[in-house]
Amino acid sequence: MTLESELREEQVSHLGLSGFSKASSGAAVRDVLAQLRAERHNVCLITDANDKLVGIFTDRDVLRRVVNAPETLDAPIDDVMTKAPVTIRPDLSAAAALRAMDENHFRNLPAVDEHGAILGDMTHQSIINFLASRYPVEILNRPPDPERFPRKQEGG
Amino acid sequence: MSTATTEIQLTRKDFVSDQTVRWCPGCGDYAILAQMQKVMPELGIPKEKIVFVSGIGCSSRFPYYMDTYGVHSIHGRAPTLATGLAVSNPELCIWVITGDGDGLSIGGNHLIHAIRRNVNLNIILFNNRIYGLTKGQYSPTSRQGKVTKSSPMGSIEQPLNPIALALAAEATFVARSIDAHTQHLEETLRRAAEHPGTSFVEIYQNCVIFNPNEWDGLSDRSVRDDNILYLEHGMPMVFGKDRNKGIRLNGFTPEVVELGNGIEEGDLLIHDATSTQLAFILSSMEYPQFPAPMGVIRDVRKPDYVSQLMGQVQTAQAQRGVGDLNKLYRAADLWTVNEREDVAAKVAGELSLDMDEEYVDNLDKADMDATTQVQDQLIESSIADLNPHVPITIDVQSSLERATRQLNLHNIGCLLVTDARDQLVGIFTERDVLMKVAGLVDDLSDAKVADYMTPSPVTIKPDQPIAQALHLMSVHGFRHLPLVDEQGHPTGIISSRDVVAYLNQAVN
Ligand code: SF4
Repeated sequence: MTLESELREEQVSHLGLSGFSKASSGAAVRDVLAQLRAERHNVCLITDANDKLVGIFTDRDVLRRVVNAPETLDAPIDDVMTKAPVTIRPDLSAAAALRAMDENHFRNLPAVDEHGAILGDMTHQSIINFLASRYPVEILNRPPDPERFPRKQEGG
Repeated sequence: MSTATTEIQLTRKDFVSDQTVRWCPGCGDYAILAQMQKVMPELGIPKEKIVFVSGIGCSSRFPYYMDTYGVHSIHGRAPTLATGLAVSNPELCIWVITGDGDGLSIGGNHLIHAIRRNVNLNIILFNNRIYGLTKGQYSPTSRQGKVTKSSPMGSIEQPLNPIALALAAEATFVARSIDAHTQHLEETLRRAAEHPGTSFVEIYQNCVIFNPNEWDGLSDRSVRDDNILYLEHGMPMVFGKDRNKGIRLNGFTPEVVELGNGIEEGDLLIHDATSTQLAFILSSMEYPQFPAPMGVIRDVRKPDYVSQLMGQVQTAQAQRGVGDLNKLYRAADLWTVNEREDVAAKVAGELSLDMDEEYVDNLDKADMDATTQVQDQLIESSIADLNPHVPITIDVQSSLERATRQLNLHNIGCLLVTDARDQLVGIFTERDVLMKVAGLVDDLSDAKVADYMTPSPVTIKPDQPIAQALHLMSVHGFRHLPLVDEQGHPTGIISSRDVVAYLNQAVN
């Protein structure tokens, strides 16, 4: 089985989706930054008054639009976010979602169900985590330092 | 387990010792160690208050690898030793690491008595259903019919059920998890640490050399969610990849039902971690007849042993004054034992440096078992096959202004920071910009990248397998990994996107 064929059998909702912060449209950039830091996330999804997703703000946006422009700190997040981000349905196959990411050079694809509820954020890390738990013997259970290898089987 | 804490900032690295980890490559113990090292700093307990105590067996090497206090103690006696430690210093956060052999064969008795006393311990039992260290004999948890080196015609013994045993010993906290499910394991260990009194956790652990298929169905990511019942207190027992199955009670007997066709969530059992009866029902549910229950099975509060014991000591001292051990000692008959002649110490044999042949055979076998193409690629393809990008480097003396400009100019997420000799000394990423710089540093031209980078980053070599990159990315959450040559000069960089793209595109 190739990764492609394995991911075809998984739905996006079966992957361990990445965590995200959530803020309201109109929030000050400064506050969103503080929230991302407190919650240790790289991504903030921005919603309107009806809890509908209207934008996405990532560490890439911080680098491109905020860090060298201190005046944006007090502006609303809407000025620096990416508006109307592309989303995917949680029952889409993981292979199709990955293809969508690669074709569009996206690093984040929020999964939103038919009621508009945001379930998580699909990232390349989601695929890495999927693979790690799919192949724990090869990936997770490696000696921490590959250059210091036990010469003998000696568990105890 | 609760201990008074002050604000201390420890990281995962603080709990990694300098010892070479000696488990077989592929052993599930590695995943458990990684999660333990991840959970430890989050508990906010100073390192000098943490002790890992073990007995004998593969799992019992654990204390060497944790940079805390540790005791590699006597076979089966870790709970006993730990009880003594808890009594003599109730402030300690004590972890007992044991296995199905150490904890349930020779140490079975010690285990149940520590549990029934509700000593403030976290007892973690690695269950691989085999003797690993002694090379593959059946253990007290091996299934009936299991063919092993000591049961060539299949084991005729009824296996022990560790969860039921702990419940029978009136454990106040009982949980189960599995090595390969890192998030679940992390959460379960944290819950165990938080519980005052004895916490007993059974971890299904893969002995890749002597019992590699024991947890098939539970460890494999693509099927596990259909075979595991994740328990959550107060929630109906729904399970399945698509959350379409559940557990219903039929008289005293649990049964698996499909949701729909008149069966709703309301018909299902609700998990109650305070119910003794329900805990026993859950303990009787064995995979594959049932989904394996995982998570916190029982969580109740009872007075712990040490505080009650100390209470009695205080009462006695208040009534009769502080005792004198020496006086008590000399109060009974005394006699003298004459000194014996010295027995010449046996000279220990030199450690053999040759590879153990059986071990090598087993390792080869484990490698040949690759069943999917991805599995092949993980081991056979090297980092060099990914065609790592040429890294963009920046001098460690540079300003933050220059660093952020470079990132934007090259439209990249990560810079490698080098010193005057062109050696890699740090990594500076867009995540650092978010976490430490934006809105926090007023004058970027005045701040040095050296103060905001991540120093001494974890690196990778071109000849290492792709699995190593995935390992580092999944265990540590890294998005980028720098490559360095023998002299420590940066030669390339790979990202999680590169790894995924390579695996996704490589055909045959
Ligand atoms: S013998 Fe089994 S349990 Fe022991 S270190 Fe090797 S794989 Fe792990």
